[in-house]
Amino acid sequence: MSSFSRSAQQWATFARSWFLIDARMQPPGKIASMCSVRLQGKHKPIYHPMSDIGDHVVVMNTRHIAFSGNKWEQKVYSSHTGYPGSFKQLTAAQMHKKDPTAIIKLAVYGMLPKNLTRRTMMQRLHLFTDDVLPEDILKNLTEELPQPREIPRKLSEYTQEERDAFPMLWTPPEDYRMK
Amino acid sequence: VVCFTVVEKKDGKTTVIEGVIDPTSEQPQPPNPTASCPIYRWNLQNKYNYTDVLLLSQFIRSDGGMLPRRITGLCAQEHTKIVICIQMAHRAGLLPDHKPPLPEGHVPKPKSNPPLNRYLTRYSVKSVKPIYKTGLKWCKKRMSVGHPALKNNVRYSPKPLYIKH
Repeated sequence: MSSFSRSAQQWATFARSWFLIDARMQPPGKIASMCSVRLQGKHKPIYHPMSDIGDHVVVMNTRHIAFSGNKWEQKVYSSHTGYPGSFKQLTAAQMHKKDPTAIIKLAVYGMLPKNLTRRTMMQRLHLFTDDVLPEDILKNLTEELPQPREIPRKLSEYTQEERDAFPMLWTPPEDYRMK
Repeated sequence: VVCFTVVEKKDGKTTVIEGVIDPTSEQPQPPNPTASCPIYRWNLQNKYNYTDVLLLSQFIRSDGGMLPRRITGLCAQEHTKIVICIQMAHRAGLLPDHKPPLPEGHVPKPKSNPPLNRYLTRYSVKSVKPIYKTGLKWCKKRMSVGHPALKNNVRYSPKPLYIKH
């Protein structure tokens, strides 16, 4: 704010903030793009690729990520260490079972700029499988970001009044049973 | 459409015949009553999706199966669209109470991996094979999301609907 003193204004522009994202029922690609934008510092008007102004991002509930379509079975993560016979191909489901944070980590790694600053930005990304966060990270958090995808409500989450208020589209014939 | 029952009361020489309106049977009128398909009657042609569980639950049995078209009165295209939406809703886990009944005394095996969250799944989970070789950019094997039958749905955002991811 312009009403701050000069030193306070300088601190407010160049301080490194900590963002929190809840990845429950969210597509990992959208979460990763939000993370990469904030890790590079592209959400700040003072952005420059050479100045190290990225923020910290904490992602929780990575175990409860939701892929659209059949990507859990179709998406394949391949890796090769360089030695013969070490070409591994894992489906997203197998990868997630082995390491629940790996999918988001690889997604963010692929979205960051391919230069030497990428490794430092990945060090500023903190991934947690559930919503239990260590105390020192909880103390540092400044802002929680809104979730990119609206979670649809299950049928059991609707109240009886809402179900009654919804009109019946068709009347079943009287001699039909078994519903 | 209002349903009422006729009630007769006798007090000595006077008989009172009354029509009692059943409050639960007052149904709102559809905006387009002269149409054969219930979805066209309510003008919901391109406006429903797999998330509209209140609408979809009216066409399913208690074990999750679909009701026949000759009973519900749906036209062919809307019947297929609703079947597709119900399949996607089942796979997304939005209809938890409409599962087929397990035989009595059956103890479910302890599952090694918890069920994965998914949405807009076109194909059944067991039938899909992994794409080991995706191919080059001009001939990439894309992963399909959603269903092309729902491509005419109303979109309120300027971005188009992507079916191939």
